[in-house]
This record gives sequence, structure tokens and C-alpha cells, in this order.
Amino acid sequence: MNNNNHTCLEQETVTEHLITLNATEQDGFRAKSDVSVLVAMERAGQHLIPVGCRGGGCGKCRIHVLQGEYFSKRMSRAWISPEQESAGTVLACRIFARGDLVIEPDPPEIRPQSQTK
Amino acid sequence: MKKGVMRPGHVQIRVLDMDEALKHYVDLLGLIEMDRDDQGRVYLKGWTEVDKFSVVLREADQAGMDFMGFKCLDEDVLDNLHQDLKAFGCEVEEVPEGELKDCGRRLRFVAPSGHAFELYATKKQTGKWGLSNRNPEAWPRGLQGMKATRFDHCLLYGVDLDKTLELFRDVLGFDLAEQVLTPDGKRVAQFLTASMKAHDIAFIDHPEPGMFHHASFFLDTWEDVLRAADLISMTDTSIDIGPTRHGLTHGKTIYFFDPSGNRTEVFCGGDYHYPDHEPVTWDADELGKAIFYHDRQLNERFLTALT
Ligand code: FES
Ligand SMILES: [Fe+2]
Repeated sequence: MNNNNHTCLEQETVTEHLITLNATEQDGFRAKSDVSVLVAMERAGQHLIPVGCRGGGCGKCRIHVLQGEYFSKRMSRAWISPEQESAGTVLACRIFARGDLVIEPDPPEIRPQSQTK
Repeated sequence: MKKGVMRPGHVQIRVLDMDEALKHYVDLLGLIEMDRDDQGRVYLKGWTEVDKFSVVLREADQAGMDFMGFKCLDEDVLDNLHQDLKAFGCEVEEVPEGELKDCGRRLRFVAPSGHAFELYATKKQTGKWGLSNRNPEAWPRGLQGMKATRFDHCLLYGVDLDKTLELFRDVLGFDLAEQVLTPDGKRVAQFLTASMKAHDIAFIDHPEPGMFHHASFFLDTWEDVLRAADLISMTDTSIDIGPTRHGLTHGKTIYFFDPSGNRTEVFCGGDYHYPDHEPVTWDADELGKAIFYHDRQLNERFLTALT
């Protein structure tokens, strides 16, 4: 069974890209185009981005993409507004690299009572 | 004291993509698809459940739980509880019969924790799936995946645990079966039951109201939990933690995520509770062991990944 959680079938051949963190000397990791950026990071044994549900629901893996092309699947509007999404703030578990990416983690703050009502 | 609330009856879960969600809840978890409605919602249940459905999936642009419903003994109980809920200070909305297919009227209210709950007394009974009620066989053939037997409980994160306990205990007749207390006596987790089960609903203290941690489904044996873990790997499904045992309730468990990021649990075993039992208490400084009895340490994701 393929639950499509990690896989994106929109591309015919799998390509591989380099994901690097903005403003750091760290090496980054390589991500295949058919695996989400978050899962690629986990497979590379790195911890640059916090890992939650891996399904676009919990918001923990929120990042800014500063540079590069990617394909994205639906992500929960609880964490990413349409404006944020078009400005490159996305959930790493819902994007698939289509070129080398430069990213910056942006895990959401806990939102106390008043803001969510 | 019992007030006529019988059991968790249903949960409506929001998913980002219905087709992906059905692969999770039907093919992997093994729930049975029972119906669909003109809003596009899909109705599911575990094979041992007598009522027509217990899980309703709704496609939406954010994940999480819409509401959890409890089934009550009869319509008179509903009328009484309506008054009691109002007296407690809850605003109660009457959702008309048929809004969920083959379900009677529902009373909907928001608990102090920030979660929407419903009470209802009538739902079509289609019987256990694949079995007759007369001289039934042990189990039906043709079950899929983990073969989840029933929807069992939810764990929710939210605010104002004290007021929420008052509502569930004093108005709805639940008992406090287990709790976690800090050294200064603040309750940070509460496991409530309307039955003999260790929990029918549980809450953990959290600054954001109305958050969903997991919906849980019952399996018969530890072997079934292990087999569920195998299936999670075979399908490359997002895992949270397990198989392991909880200190709280002592259930044997595994947690994983649906393709929209909602957490699912399958578990077996666990303690039982009678109304004359004192609550079981875990100290907050033993929280690691209370949650994961073997690792004895908390996993950040388990505590903070919510929808
Ligand atoms: S890990 Fe939960 S939204 Fe990405
Ligand atoms: Fe649970």
C-alpha cells in the first residue's frame, strides 16, 4: 500500500537535490524528489527541522524556503495561511524538492487560548 | 454516579485528502466503510461494533477533530442532560436527526477544554460486521490490515482540566479513573470513564484549547499490536512510538499518524475501573514512566505534535 504520505508521483524520473540551511556552515542533506524534504532529512540522520506527524497536520516542521523550486501537497491551514504558503513558508513534510533548496526552520509557537477562539 | 451516558459513540476527524485517508483508516487500520453522505463525509466502524458507524471522516483544509460523541441510554436521558448542561453553563446546540446519516438528534456543546462534544441516544444498528447475532462465529473473514475491533477512546489536549472534570463527572456521570498530579497538587492529566474501561476519554493540560492528540482503536492481543507495527513498516506509514506499554492504564500500544497528521493508536489490554475505586495517581516527576513504561522517558513528538 502506498499512502502517498512520503511519495509524490507527479514526476516521471526521480532527481536528487541538496538542501542547505541558511546562514550556517552545516553540510545540509540530499533529498530525492519523491520523498518529502522532512523524510529525506530523517533518512540522512539529521535533526535540522523538528519532526512531528510527517503528514502536514501538526505544523512542527514549518520552514521558510529562501531559494529553490519544490512541489507541495496540501498542508493544514491551522499552521500555514495561503499568503504564507505563496511566500515560501511551508511544512517540510509536504514539500518535495525540484531543485536545490535553501531553508530556515520556523517551528510555530504554542498559541494560547485567546488567539484560537 | 452514572447519568445514562454509555460509551464513546463516534468521532469526526478532519483529513486533508479523503482517498489517502481511506487507505489509512480502511486498508491499514481495518475499519469498514459503511456509508457516505452528500457532504462527502465517509462513515466507518470497527467490525465488532453493533451501531452503524463510529468514525466519520470529513475532508477539510486543516487536520484535527470536529467533535466526539457519546451514546446515551435513551431519549429521556438526553432531555435531562440537556437541562443539566445548561445549568452547568454550557451552551447546547440541538443538531437535528439525520444530520449524520442514520443518527438521531444530537446535543452539541463545547467543554471548558475547548473541545466539541455531542450526546445522542439513537443510531441505526446494523450489527457486528459480517456476523449474525444468532449463533455468531468467532470473527468474520475478509477483514483488512490491523483488523481494528472498535473505536475505543480519544486523548485530547486543552485548557481548564478542573472545570472539564467537573462537567464530565458531575453532569455526565464519568468517574476519574487515573490522574497525573504535580508536586503542588495540580492535575495535568485526567483519564475518565463512563464504563469499566480505564478510559473512555482523556485530557492533558495544554495552553492551546481544543487540540486533538489521538483516536484509539482496540485490538485483542499483544500479538495483534506487534502485527500492527509490522504493517506500519510494510506500508511506510509515519510512526510515532511503539510497540510499548503505558504506565497509565497499563495498556499495550503503538502510535502512528494518518496521512493528514492526525495520530492513531491501536492498543490491547489495560486496567479496569469500578465506581467505588479510588483514582490511580501518577506523580508528574514519574511522567516518563507513566506514559512509556519501558523507555521511562518522554518523547518530545508525543507531547507536542497535535492537530
Ligand atoms: S511534521 Fe507535522 S506538519 Fe510536518
Ligand atoms: Fe490512548
